[in-house]
Amino acid sequence: MRAGTVADIAGVAVGVVFLLPVLWLAVGAFKPVSALGAFPPELLPIPATTSNFAAAFATNNFGVFLGNSVIVGAMSTVIVVCLGLPAAYGLSRTSMRGRGGVLTGLLVISVFPVIVTIPPLYVALRTLGWLNSYQALVLPYVAFNLPLAIWTMRNSLLAVSPQMEEAAEVDGASLPRTILQIIVPQALPGIFVAAVLTFVACWQEFLMALSFNSNAAYQTAPVGIALFGGTFQLPYGTIFAASLVALLPILLLVLALRRWVVDGLSTGSVKG
Amino acid sequence: MTSTSARASIVGPPALFPPRASRRARISRRRGYLLTAPALLVVALVTLAPIAFSVYLSLCAVTAGADGFDYSLVGLRNYAAALGSQALWSALTFTAVYTVVSVTVQVVLGLGVAIIIDRMTRGTGVVLALLLVPWAMITVVSGQLWSYIFNGVYGLADYLLVVLHVVPAPVTILSNPVGAFVALLVADSWKTIPFVSLILFGGLRTVDKELYAAARLDGAGGWTILGRITIPLIRQSLITAVVFRVLQAFGIFDLPFVLTNGGPGNATQSMAMLAYNALFQDLNIGYGAAISCITAAVVIVFAVVFLRAFKVEEPGG
Repeated sequence: MRAGTVADIAGVAVGVVFLLPVLWLAVGAFKPVSALGAFPPELLPIPATTSNFAAAFATNNFGVFLGNSVIVGAMSTVIVVCLGLPAAYGLSRTSMRGRGGVLTGLLVISVFPVIVTIPPLYVALRTLGWLNSYQALVLPYVAFNLPLAIWTMRNSLLAVSPQMEEAAEVDGASLPRTILQIIVPQALPGIFVAAVLTFVACWQEFLMALSFNSNAAYQTAPVGIALFGGTFQLPYGTIFAASLVALLPILLLVLALRRWVVDGLSTGSVKG
Repeated sequence: MTSTSARASIVGPPALFPPRASRRARISRRRGYLLTAPALLVVALVTLAPIAFSVYLSLCAVTAGADGFDYSLVGLRNYAAALGSQALWSALTFTAVYTVVSVTVQVVLGLGVAIIIDRMTRGTGVVLALLLVPWAMITVVSGQLWSYIFNGVYGLADYLLVVLHVVPAPVTILSNPVGAFVALLVADSWKTIPFVSLILFGGLRTVDKELYAAARLDGAGGWTILGRITIPLIRQSLITAVVFRVLQAFGIFDLPFVLTNGGPGNATQSMAMLAYNALFQDLNIGYGAAISCITAAVVIVFAVVFLRAFKVEEPGG
């Protein structure tokens, strides 16, 4: 066998191995409670049931958690792009001083352990009366995701030729117009990557969501999934049904923009 | 890096029209400040200022009153209490050992996966898509899923161990300190090996394949090529992956919170969990801040030592 063929087979095998646990989750979501606790485990959910989804949404109000995740994630992403794009432009296209220092500083902040900011942010949010609100999460999510979004968008701006914008400037176009009509279309892939990665990060975030919003009306999907359930026995069927619904939108988004996400990750500008 | 060319293109040819160039540079500079200011202000207010405030809180006894908090400075008392407690040393040891073990395992296996993907002749896109699935997983979901797999009564892991004759009957993996550690490692690696391999794959893509062929002609074996050609050439990607992974592993919270709840006992209680419990179970904000600051200090020391040791150049700008 040719070396390339061996690599092809090994590669597909690796991919399948990494997929298997998610399939186990999907199978579990359709199993009745009795089958979930069977030993030896049953491979397929026969007969399949949708009662777990009913339990997650009708009994445990998982729709509220999902809605909160969508609101917080969308607001954070829009704000990150609106604040981050001008900053990325400033850091790649202007002769402002201290660009290297700012970029290094942003990189350091983006990998700083979140736990350090939990006590002060908790005190500040409580003092402002902002615990149990959307802004309690949007504000820190924007701040923690801006650094990498700025890096990603800056890298894609650096790849855009400056000639067209110089021409626009000569023609007397204003700066906001130049950015929106000349720069944004060319830097669109980088902007998409920044937006997707921000949204994925917000969708997954747990520690701040758990710390700042203790009221179920403002909790996000990860908090809901972590806190489901009983003292003695975890209701795995309900958890898996809710998890599957929470995973689908993010999986579809990531797979649809697969090429860009892979490019973003493989240039090392991203954390996992 | 790209910085010099970017700068040159903005400033233009200074020797020919010095006055005009400097005026343009001044306008450009002012624009830069205006455009970056809002984002930097938000980042500074919500990350840098709290970090400073956290240091202050760690030096205080904080009591929550009806209308806000009362702070009274107590000096280093919180630090003395933390450093004198068994729980802190236990958490620090677990977190450090976990970081070293997990990052080593994930970088070695991640490099293996990246090399396989790099050598594939077709189907690369499909495999990359499959690897993105665990990467996009919500960590909390992953924790619940693996707690089901490692369940001591009906878990799939126990079933496989019994079928493979490793154990005669199901064992309670998560009730054993080593078992709980391994369970965390497996669950964590499942999500992060794809991340590591995507970064390293980015590095491998830039390596000229002719080099491998030339080395093979010279009689170099697989391990020699890996050690002498591949690893030195993807050094930058490796450093990126290691730094990101170490900092994430040292701050680990979601997975032990859901999968092991820090147990058995406090065998898998991480620094972040210890701080969280001090803050929200014991309601001791000053003490929790002190533990957070100790965590940050360890991370900073690591980052400085590591980046010095590998002489990482500053990113251009």
